[in-house]
Amino acid sequence: MHQTLTGKRQRLGRRAARCSKSTLAAGMLLFLPGFQGAEPQYHSYDELTAALRRAVRAHSDIARVESLGETIGGRDIWVVEIANRSGTPIEERPALLIVANLEGNQVVGSELALRTVEYLLDNYESDPEVRERLDNHVFYVFPRMNPDAAELMWAGVKTGRRTNSKPYDDDADGRIDEDDPEDLNGDGLITQMRVADPAGEYTVDPDEPRLMKEADAAKGESGSYKIYWEGLDDDDDGYFNEDGPGGVDINRNFQHEYPYYEADAGRHMVSEYESRALMDFVISHRNIAMVLTYGESDNLVISPTSSGALAPAAPISLLSFADESNAGANEVGMFQAPRPRGFRGFEMFFLQQAQPSGGGRRPPARRPATTVNAADLDYYTTIGEQYREMTGISRVSTTRAPKGAFFEYAYFQFGVPSFSTPGWGLAEAADSGEGQAGGQQAEGAARPRAAPGAGGARPQGMQRPGAGRAAGGDSQTDSRILQWMDQQDVAGFVDWQEFQHPTLGTVEIGGFAPYAATNPPAAQLNELGDAHAEFAVYLTSLFADVRITDVEVISHGGSVFEINADIENVGFLPTSTQHGVVSRSVAPTMVQLGVQPDDVLTGAAKTSFFSRLEGSGARESYTWVVRGRQGATVELRVRSQKGGSDSATITLR
Amino acid sequence: MKRTLEHAMPKALTLCAALASLLAMTARTGLAQSGSDPQFRVKIDFNRWHDYDELRADLLRLEEAFPRFLTYSSVGQSYGGRDMMLMTINNSETGPELSKAAMYIEANIHGNEIQGGEVCLYTIWYLMENYGRIEEVTKLVDERVFYIFPTVNPDGRDHFMDGTGSGARTGHVPVDQDNDGLFDEDGPNDLNGNGTIEQIRKYVPGQGTHRISHLDPRIMERVPAGEAGDWVLLGSEGLDDDGDGLVNEDPIGGYDPNRNWGTGWQPNYIQGGAMDYPFQLPESRAINDFLMSHPNIAGVQSYHNSGGMILRGPGAEWHGEYPAADVMVYDQLGRQGARMLPYYRYIVIWDSLYTVHGGFVDWTHDGIGAVSFSNELWNRGQYFNSPDLMRQQEDPNSPIAPPKDRYFFDDHLEFGDQYIEWQGFEHPEYGTVELGGWKKTYGRVPPRFMNEELAHRNMAFTLYQASEMPLMSMSEPAVESMGGDVYKVWVELTNEKITPTIIEQAAQNKVVRPDLLTLDGNVEVISAGIVQDRFTPGPSQMIDQHDLKRIMFRNGTPGNTTHIVEYLLKGSGNVTVTYSSVKGGTVEQRFSLR
Repeated sequence: MHQTLTGKRQRLGRRAARCSKSTLAAGMLLFLPGFQGAEPQYHSYDELTAALRRAVRAHSDIARVESLGETIGGRDIWVVEIANRSGTPIEERPALLIVANLEGNQVVGSELALRTVEYLLDNYESDPEVRERLDNHVFYVFPRMNPDAAELMWAGVKTGRRTNSKPYDDDADGRIDEDDPEDLNGDGLITQMRVADPAGEYTVDPDEPRLMKEADAAKGESGSYKIYWEGLDDDDDGYFNEDGPGGVDINRNFQHEYPYYEADAGRHMVSEYESRALMDFVISHRNIAMVLTYGESDNLVISPTSSGALAPAAPISLLSFADESNAGANEVGMFQAPRPRGFRGFEMFFLQQAQPSGGGRRPPARRPATTVNAADLDYYTTIGEQYREMTGISRVSTTRAPKGAFFEYAYFQFGVPSFSTPGWGLAEAADSGEGQAGGQQAEGAARPRAAPGAGGARPQGMQRPGAGRAAGGDSQTDSRILQWMDQQDVAGFVDWQEFQHPTLGTVEIGGFAPYAATNPPAAQLNELGDAHAEFAVYLTSLFADVRITDVEVISHGGSVFEINADIENVGFLPTSTQHGVVSRSVAPTMVQLGVQPDDVLTGAAKTSFFSRLEGSGARESYTWVVRGRQGATVELRVRSQKGGSDSATITLR
Repeated sequence: MKRTLEHAMPKALTLCAALASLLAMTARTGLAQSGSDPQFRVKIDFNRWHDYDELRADLLRLEEAFPRFLTYSSVGQSYGGRDMMLMTINNSETGPELSKAAMYIEANIHGNEIQGGEVCLYTIWYLMENYGRIEEVTKLVDERVFYIFPTVNPDGRDHFMDGTGSGARTGHVPVDQDNDGLFDEDGPNDLNGNGTIEQIRKYVPGQGTHRISHLDPRIMERVPAGEAGDWVLLGSEGLDDDGDGLVNEDPIGGYDPNRNWGTGWQPNYIQGGAMDYPFQLPESRAINDFLMSHPNIAGVQSYHNSGGMILRGPGAEWHGEYPAADVMVYDQLGRQGARMLPYYRYIVIWDSLYTVHGGFVDWTHDGIGAVSFSNELWNRGQYFNSPDLMRQQEDPNSPIAPPKDRYFFDDHLEFGDQYIEWQGFEHPEYGTVELGGWKKTYGRVPPRFMNEELAHRNMAFTLYQASEMPLMSMSEPAVESMGGDVYKVWVELTNEKITPTIIEQAAQNKVVRPDLLTLDGNVEVISAGIVQDRFTPGPSQMIDQHDLKRIMFRNGTPGNTTHIVEYLLKGSGNVTVTYSSVKGGTVEQRFSLR
């Protein structure tokens, strides 16, 4: 059952055959409401729900779907559990958790997750590999974490909103959701506006007149445009669309490098119904041994650098510029506080001199890790290589810095290997000179991420122009995506068109359309779905797997016996990541001999623990000298949180 | 008294309410004068510790006796199913709760730190019994709202009071401390059934690590290196309940409820006891839901024990010091507290105590925008609390020199109530041993007879903080004609208290709604500015906002400060100007342009 690297290669060889089978399966799904004609389509909430129910109903022996409750919009958060429930209890089996659509505008992940569910269920009977996985492991799949936002993909006017439906005062002006975007040109899309303005900071990109760049005064450039989001200033505060409907970005709401008080991050960590439901699920399923999320961050297409850092974010500059136009909205009304004065003036002066003095105990405050542990890096690299090979994805579209992202929590605080990928990629450009994955990786190595909470510094924003520049040039991401759209005939960029704006005068409306840069064309969904389902199956071949082996009993005469045994990890992954050990988030593996505690005379204690055992056959040896009765049996048990359990009955003789 | 009362009451107060209030005062005053001292309406013991049921019963008795001001409720349930008890003190005749600044007072987040519960009870009792009798108390009750939670860890409290009291700091959500898949399966055991978890010692002549001190036979001391003692210490009273070879390795709970809050929260390996995410615990979640829905909370006190400290955040150095403007506010309040509380020091948590990530007062400062203190109740220095006795303690031959002092105090002032003499016991695993040691009520809580003073002094500091919560007032606007239909109008906005309406941290974090200065009338605002100095000429600081009929003050009005806003208005007729502050109240004035 233990998938070694050799086994993996064999399976890769079988991939071609598998693909044709998948194509057949897709063909059989033509009648489903989610599909129209021969082309696959994205699933709305109702269609997704129906597809999940149908798949689970047809395989109720190995799958069940459960709602973790309703969002504000009244939609269920579905979790699908897939496993053959006979045999080892589910909660003792290593599990793969798949989470999609934490970011509301990233809907492709839902399709990949749904396809994984269908793939596992459809192939359980026929594919011995899938069967072996479902007999021994568990898949937990959250196909749509942010259903309220995802549904906006089908709205009459598409905004591309990431956040959930929590009413939220984004600009902190005492009014909630009072300035939403307007589709001024009636194309059903909220895009951007550019306005000729001598006070503007931006200029037309000389290489690509559809794109904009920040004017660089050091090169003698002067700005001539301002850039906004398409819409009106509904509340007459000087800003456009700075407080539309929606509140919290679920993938900015988790505990690792949480962006305190940043836009869309919520009032505090895990403040949202959706994030809390996921957290409560995760902490009550400690058998989750690996996490795969689909979202706007990546550590699979580009593996972490040798220092354990992720590749820098690649935001779309044009969108960052539009965001930046509203950056000042929540600073309006900040006054320089005048010096307190009046009848207590003298006392104030006196007190200013006196601060509470130290002198107490000052243990050095330990900082949390923010880079992948060196001992875990090779596993990330190996798995990343495999991902690229299996999916063919080598270049990602837009990405962002994963502050407060769920997959970061899952590694840095839950302690398991955890991955994020947009789940699709840009086809290689005809001229492969720029935007290569390798190029970005090099930049990542040169630029380690900042430590969190340092000196009250403002955490790095997610879509600010600064981040764009740091990611390697003003419009590199923009031009890469635009080139891809042109080549693939993707209608993702609206050409600038003049419009008479009621307050701004003559503007041009155009730019990147919502969803187009975060989701691939629906025609690619089948192929991507199969590849990612297979990748998920591959991941579950890697789990640690502890076994009791080479048990030996030596009778020393009288009632004294010596028991020797090895614990072997025959899986690929260690029983814990190194960071799981460091962060004490993965329970040590327990080795327990079923005797009375005081019958152990020497050697290992009745109950022992080890923190980490490498895979691929690494062993831990134990010796107990016990008092016992000739012919009595003793139970030896090993229990690993992420690597299963085993037991052996030992007869004293 | 009458003058003060008029001063205290907002204009909104109806004549009827004022009369009722005066009548109540007259009646109470009459009662007080009939004896040598006030006759209190509700008798409550402040020289003993209350368990959850007793606290609840006293709260209900108080509510019944003072229904005009008190409302008892529960904001949720603990893991063990006990109410998260809240007493609200509000005079509804002076306005609804949310229209007035509120002081939030809680205690006992650590289950063993019990005496704050009695301080809370005392505070409610004192405010009610003295309303109408003491001017300052009357004013506080009329102007402010109090939210009082005598125990925010009722499971821990009852474990301390009615159980053995061992390991009562935690809450009761089960945690698998020894990673064996079982939860809370091996805690200490009260083997001799005397209600206390004692220490175990075993007599092993010539083979031990400890000996009986010559200073006092109750003191066990480690023998010097190279010598043998006659005793070994075997930990606290207990058994290997789950037969895994370890004793007391997985007791109840196993975390710190005061590390489960939203500011600077860190995972367990950085901050022990933090649990998996902030507000994961039912108790912290219930309290936070309450905080979030009561933005009028401007002050917070969380009572702990012990050590004699008035603590403020930040809890961790890398949070960075609070903004300077906020530090000045804390310093004024904290230093005043140190004068009111002998043996208490005003200190910063990370700097002078230890590092705390995800602590409660960090959250209420940083995430709620309330000025927040945490008093560590009781300092052992108070056992011998005169300069002369403290000098005597420095003489090693004195009977009250440490470590003899605590035995002296127990012998002569508590008559031996707190110390359990060593007694033989047959332990199933250790054989013949002795059990003995201090009771749970010794050390971190004061001797019962000293608790009323502790309660009163700490309440006095907290009420001082409450009285210095923001309170806005607005003078009658001054109108000056500028010719035509243009007028210059001066509006003076004053916060006479130490605390700003929005602390600087809250303004930076944007967690408190900005104060709003609005104009209602048939006028156009040409400009608005803040007068820099009323006594020297010069332009006002222009307010650069789009909508000048709704001016935002994101950092509110600082303490002891008057903002003068100068409008240039075009129009005529009556105009209403309103300053609305979530924590500083709402004030308004009318003026005419003519």
